[in-house]
Amino acid sequence: MSESSKLSRRTFLRMAGLTAAGALAAACAPTTTPTEATGGQAPSGEKVTLRLWSHQNPSFVGANEQLIAKYKDQNPNVEIKYENFPYADFITNIQTSMAAKTEADVMEMFGSWVQSYAKGGTLAVVDESVTTLAKAQELFYAAPLDGYVWEGKLYGLPNEYNLEVGGVLANKRMFDEAGLTYPPTWASWDELVADAKKMTKVENNVMTVAGFDYVTGDGLGFLFWEGILEKGAEYFADDGVHLNLLTPQAKETVQWMYDMANKDKVVDPLTFNGDVNWVGTSFFQGLVAIGYIGPWIVPEGRRNYPDFKDPWDHVESPHFGSERKFAADSGWGKVVSPNTKNIKEAWKFSAFMTMDPANHRQWNVATGTVPALKSVAEDPTLLNDINWLGPSLKVLPYGRYVGMLQDRDYIWYTVVATHITECLQNQRSVDETMQLMHDEANALIDSKIKA
Amino acid sequence: MAILDRTSTLLKEAPAQQRRSRARLSAGQVIIYIILIVGILYTLLPFLWMLGTSFKSSTEIVRMPPTLIPEKFTLSSYRTIFTDPSVPLARFYLNSIIVTFSIVAMVLFTSSLAGFVFAKYTFFGKNLWFTLILATMMIPFQVIMIPLYLVLVKLGITDSLLGLIVPGATSAFGIFLMRQFIESIPSELIDAARIDGASEFGIYWQVILPQMGAALATLGIFQFMGTWNDYLWPLIVITTTEKRTLPIMLTWYNSQHGSRFDLTMAASVLVILPIVVIYFFFQRWIVRGIALTGFK
Amino acid sequence: MATTLPRKGSLFRRQHIFAGTTVTPVMIYMMLFTLLPMLWGVLITFFRYSPTRAGGPFLGLGGGNPFVGIENYLDLFSNSPNGVLFRLSLKNTLIFSLVYVPLNLVVTLPLAVFIESVTQRAKSFFRTIYFLPTVTSAVAVSLVWGVIYNPTFGLLNLGLRALGLTGYAWLTDPQTTVLGIPLPMICVLITYLWSDMGYNLVIFMAGLQGIPDVYREAALVDGANAWQRFWYITLPLLRSTLTFVMVMTMLSAWQVFVLFFVLTNRGGPSNLTRVLVLHIYETAFRYQEMGLAATVAMVLFLIIMITTLLQLRLLRKDWEY
Repeated sequence: MSESSKLSRRTFLRMAGLTAAGALAAACAPTTTPTEATGGQAPSGEKVTLRLWSHQNPSFVGANEQLIAKYKDQNPNVEIKYENFPYADFITNIQTSMAAKTEADVMEMFGSWVQSYAKGGTLAVVDESVTTLAKAQELFYAAPLDGYVWEGKLYGLPNEYNLEVGGVLANKRMFDEAGLTYPPTWASWDELVADAKKMTKVENNVMTVAGFDYVTGDGLGFLFWEGILEKGAEYFADDGVHLNLLTPQAKETVQWMYDMANKDKVVDPLTFNGDVNWVGTSFFQGLVAIGYIGPWIVPEGRRNYPDFKDPWDHVESPHFGSERKFAADSGWGKVVSPNTKNIKEAWKFSAFMTMDPANHRQWNVATGTVPALKSVAEDPTLLNDINWLGPSLKVLPYGRYVGMLQDRDYIWYTVVATHITECLQNQRSVDETMQLMHDEANALIDSKIKA
Repeated sequence: MAILDRTSTLLKEAPAQQRRSRARLSAGQVIIYIILIVGILYTLLPFLWMLGTSFKSSTEIVRMPPTLIPEKFTLSSYRTIFTDPSVPLARFYLNSIIVTFSIVAMVLFTSSLAGFVFAKYTFFGKNLWFTLILATMMIPFQVIMIPLYLVLVKLGITDSLLGLIVPGATSAFGIFLMRQFIESIPSELIDAARIDGASEFGIYWQVILPQMGAALATLGIFQFMGTWNDYLWPLIVITTTEKRTLPIMLTWYNSQHGSRFDLTMAASVLVILPIVVIYFFFQRWIVRGIALTGFK
Repeated sequence: MATTLPRKGSLFRRQHIFAGTTVTPVMIYMMLFTLLPMLWGVLITFFRYSPTRAGGPFLGLGGGNPFVGIENYLDLFSNSPNGVLFRLSLKNTLIFSLVYVPLNLVVTLPLAVFIESVTQRAKSFFRTIYFLPTVTSAVAVSLVWGVIYNPTFGLLNLGLRALGLTGYAWLTDPQTTVLGIPLPMICVLITYLWSDMGYNLVIFMAGLQGIPDVYREAALVDGANAWQRFWYITLPLLRSTLTFVMVMTMLSAWQVFVLFFVLTNRGGPSNLTRVLVLHIYETAFRYQEMGLAATVAMVLFLIIMITTLLQLRLLRKDWEY
């Protein structure tokens, strides 16, 4: 074996030496300007470089690119370096770079993440030259904007109003085959569920069509808060910090969800939930008749499933009480790093993307999202560009921001969505679920406010 | 170490084994073959599924019941990826090749040299240093990610391929592995070279390295696999799309807002393919190397 | 073991200089890129730290990231959300690793024996194919297996239905258990076995080749059947390999991350597949408590270290035959 080892050593080392030398040379070449990103190296003192970060969602990326190009045309002295990251790891990226203070000048953040960062002092307050909180409150809906407000200060500007309330996906073929009116005109959830029952299909004990799929990480939270509010209760405790999930209204809402899955059997929560056959996918695979999800799914569905043949729409959905009243999850928007060297330019650019009505609208049209600016949402010509927004636009004034949950992901997903799903799957009774959610949510809030 | 003494003696005896394996197909052997073939199905099915899906149209993917072999072969997912203007695929390949080969070359050199010194020399604090090296292998990467990034920022090499290459130049595991292997090389060889007037580095270069073909190949391949498949760390270090490495493709079409499964599978094939080719090329070495070092 | 004894005089000095000049740069390098980060990890276990909170000037510690003494360690044993999730993750990690190791051995050892018994050419074919999954990226593995397990149009349920059986919601059913192990955990075990068994298979094959033929031939002469030869001859002689494989497999099982992050979508359902490494990652970044995460990492580090030390002790005795 010594002969072959010798040969291999030579080839290996030769290969290694060559590649290492070449590789290092090549690696050095494109990295000669690492400081360029943070800007400020222009001899004329004019040229400014801003970095923008966002997560990697094709339509969001496209919308941002359009507006960047437009901004560069209007501001030739500004260079925008746009970088994006896979969604699942985006926060890891932001946080790692925050530790080194090397995060981008402008970041596209989800509104309900903003408060915890603002509280920690890792975001910049909106520059007075761009807008004040009072002025922003006139321009934007409260539901998206309030996610960006912490202790009376504004920390960012929303691009959209994120909601799953107001509309649902509906598969016209399934309605027609079941002989149901289309587009549906549901006066109550009961009517929706009655329709859903007629479209649900089970073959050999396997649900092949879920009549009404509402079991998703986002959707369960939205329905839960909406149910509590419309039934006339409140999920925050009297101190405004803790949660009170033991009200009869909260229990009623979960009971209602439980009944749909277990009495009406319009969805099998084992095979349709946030982890598998997620409604944003399964609807476009013909597995769901009515899907509870926001209007932003429409362009995604069209792009991801170009060959889906069934006709479908995003149609109006019913509500619980006499009037619409719901909590929304803020929305994607732009925030600025306090470590930026060009804070004025960064805010100017952020405001260009979010506060200018024409740009705001262009962004919403490209991403299929709901405007956060009142003037854009109220403009009737908006429907010419995004004709599926109708149901969502109607409900916008009735929404409020979900509130400071201390750790939104923990409360919304780990507590509410997870435990309601478990309840629907018959792991725990409704009463036990309410108590568990109440205890876990408040334990988390305690641990966060302790410091 | 004992395991190496044992495995190296067993390797010498290996040829003798081959005599035994010739036999008629008895009933027992038929059963054995059946079991082995079932195991092959378990092993290959996911690969076939991935490959099949990448050649399906997006309608065929969601068809019920699904097809294992595409009814109609289409290259459309590959075409979409190759023509996607936001995907600098050739650049990703090049970056991955640069990073992987640089790291493999450096790790082979530093590990074998340090392994040699730890195996054959005595110096102050040797055991302490070696224990520390071992300890670094046991800390979950998720925890040292942030401070490691801080170091790169101080060095000014974030968002560059150097930022991926530089921290990878040494490998605790490589040093451990090489020391294990070199300890089994008789010290008499070294003494003899010394008497012949060889320098200490000369001993490493001319006496030790030629003995280490299989061990180097094994470490090389495993380092190659680890670096080539590394997903999270490059994502943290590199922010400019053009400087990213290939595994970013795995999640490129798999966003929070729904995924293109046909494209994701085609991208997976594109990521896996080079490493599979290299594996088939080097697989004999890997097997021998694993046997020699007892590594996993 | 075989270490050249240092001698006095120039030769001794020369060797010392060589050792110093080679090991010092390597050690400095490792200090910078591994030990230093590790010390940082130890340091922040005494702080309530997250990079999302701007702290004092030194590493962001102090201020919004206050010193908390050993509070993070005490938290692991408390009834706080983190303490509960930590213990759950520890339990899941134990289940996973304690089931995985025997599962792996029960599959790979017989398989190695079988492969060793076939002709040389078939042997190298089987070995090559069985090892193939180990080179595949874990992210890609999770994506493909995710679809295989899909309850509605996945390959697995398709097969079961063809046999007239009902399928399962493999990755999302929190209630179905097999021998007390949740079904999703079983799925991760099967996928991890798929991606990992190649290593042990090859090690066992090498071990089997190392057993001198004379033993088995003697047994054959004495009239022992195949099973007896395996049980009384092969297995005892493989004991050292077995110990080694067991501990190495255990160590890698403790650190599986991607499968639990991608395949079961961050430890779902109902945190049944939340393991320690995932818990560390989620606590650090998603729940923004990196100090707590580092504390959990220290516990994991201790477990891994103890297991390794145990391994070294076990491996030290009776190797030769």
